[in-house]
Amino acid sequence: MIKLRQIDAYRWEIPREGKMRTRGLIFCSKEMLPSLQEDQSLQQVANVATLPGIVGPSLAMPDIHWGYGFAIGGVAAFDLEEGIVSPGGVGYDINCGVRLLRTRLSREQVAPLMKTLVDALFTNIPSGVGSRRQDFKLTGAALKKVLKDGCRWAVKEGFGEAGDLAHIEAGGAIDGADPEAVSDFALNRGKDQLGTLGSGNHFVEVGYIDEIYDPALAAQLGLFQDQVTAIVHTGSRGLGHQVCEDYIKVMLKASAKYGIELPDRQLCCAPLASPEGQRYLAAMAGAANFAFANRQLITHWVRESFEQVFHMGPRDLGLELVYDVCHNIAKIETHTVEGKPRKLCVHRKGATRAFPPHHPEVPEAYRETGQPVLIPGDMGRYSFVLVGTEKAITETFGSTCHGAGRLMSRHQAKKVAHGRSIIQELAAQGIIVRGAGRGAIDEEISEAYKDVSGVVDVVHGAGIARKVARLKPLGVIKG
Amino acid sequence: MIKKKPEASPRRRRPYRQLPHTADLAWRLWGASLPELFENAGCALSATLTDRRYLRRRATREVSLEAFDREALLVDWLNHLLYLFDVDGFVGRDFQVVSLTDEHLEARVTGESFDPARHPSLTGVKAATFHQLSIVPAGDGWQATVVLDL
Repeated sequence: MIKLRQIDAYRWEIPREGKMRTRGLIFCSKEMLPSLQEDQSLQQVANVATLPGIVGPSLAMPDIHWGYGFAIGGVAAFDLEEGIVSPGGVGYDINCGVRLLRTRLSREQVAPLMKTLVDALFTNIPSGVGSRRQDFKLTGAALKKVLKDGCRWAVKEGFGEAGDLAHIEAGGAIDGADPEAVSDFALNRGKDQLGTLGSGNHFVEVGYIDEIYDPALAAQLGLFQDQVTAIVHTGSRGLGHQVCEDYIKVMLKASAKYGIELPDRQLCCAPLASPEGQRYLAAMAGAANFAFANRQLITHWVRESFEQVFHMGPRDLGLELVYDVCHNIAKIETHTVEGKPRKLCVHRKGATRAFPPHHPEVPEAYRETGQPVLIPGDMGRYSFVLVGTEKAITETFGSTCHGAGRLMSRHQAKKVAHGRSIIQELAAQGIIVRGAGRGAIDEEISEAYKDVSGVVDVVHGAGIARKVARLKPLGVIKG
Repeated sequence: MIKKKPEASPRRRRPYRQLPHTADLAWRLWGASLPELFENAGCALSATLTDRRYLRRRATREVSLEAFDREALLVDWLNHLLYLFDVDGFVGRDFQVVSLTDEHLEARVTGESFDPARHPSLTGVKAATFHQLSIVPAGDGWQATVVLDL
């Protein structure tokens, strides 16, 4: 069992031991500890601490759970000269992320048409295992532009407005993307999948603001009580998965070549300064841009669905992007380490950036509030809007949690759901759900997830994000 | 005509079963031989995506893969099957390993394109991972563990 030392109500330390180059730092509550100790997530935090060039502690957010290689909910920063980059520290679904849209509509206005709206979303947005669009095909040249320009490409092609770009992490396009670093296999997998939701925990959810914790901040983010909102959660689809796979193979060789000792093969990596490391970053940026464009296209179809159902124009609907955040990404960022600014490669795997007010990378609109952070919960409970804080910058390289985290395996969830109609149960609670398959919905039942409010209370209590509002679902389409 | 595989004897172990894993999906695979282990891995993957019984034998894909060791080959094999699924929706019903060494695999897969109207949509798989990956001799056969990212 991994040794843990309590620092305060929200912080626990894995002391440096054996081959660890630094300590582990876990943000969680006392109640969360027993379930953490049951699986291997703490060992995974310790494993990451052994990697060369790690700066600061190997971090874990309160939604930490057992992943492969890096734990999900893990954050680790590496020095650009001494440190490494690891595809396993980003994950297969590169730039899986969420975006939040607000509307001018109130809950009462949409309630009578909710079923029609969910049906329209389900028709307009391809979802589920093997989902693809029949009417929208990309040429090879266009796909390469998507990889290079991300949301900028999407907006230029008429999917959304220029104003959207200012409300997306990195402006919806990460610099340094090189389509030539992405294999033909990856390009083939991606070409019919742009604008598709995929499956698993991906979703589009229409909800409303059910509680406001900080009225001043909520007003600055354009949020009000009972306001209808929409959340899009998806990533880079098969293209991103293939980029990860391709580079894991490269990194397995590179780890041996550069003499990096690995406690788990899935942690394979290369020095950031090496050609392998640089090429991965260029390919990863391409996949991340594909994911940004994917969410942008889906957003466009969310807007169209609302227009169809409510017979209102864009101005009256006011479906504006609040923000779009990445969950699985490695970013080159400048952080102050021991009083000096240092460029680092921050891996966030199942973690969200949470930059404070006045940070240069926070868009103009949020300079005074801090960057909006969106934490989706399960489809039966609620999601949260928070903002980044100064404390996050000093303690977690500007990072916070990303979601609820599973409590049950998919197999257990299906067992629990067996013999019940989850769709009817949710309908009785006023939530209309449509999914590509019954299995997909059963696997995602509310009870299968931890209560996201526990996770959010820890990051709020520890000060690595600040609670603004809570959202409740009204209608969900599941992949 | 497609030849049917001989019926499993009652003493034979289950070709694949799920291991408890909260976020993802871990498979424990078994085969009387290494080729059979790889074939069963293909079956386990198809059974994750959809109900294999509804798949018809309508198309064949020839697969040829190189990897640096046996474990990596298993991961590559599963990921290649996911690639076929993403590119043209192909899902395998029958898997036949034609030749297998530690670094090379030749296989023939028979199945059809996924059709949401005909095939139930079960669990989407992003990739097979190297995490806790193992292939070990077990009794009179071989056993493998592979974790899929969902």
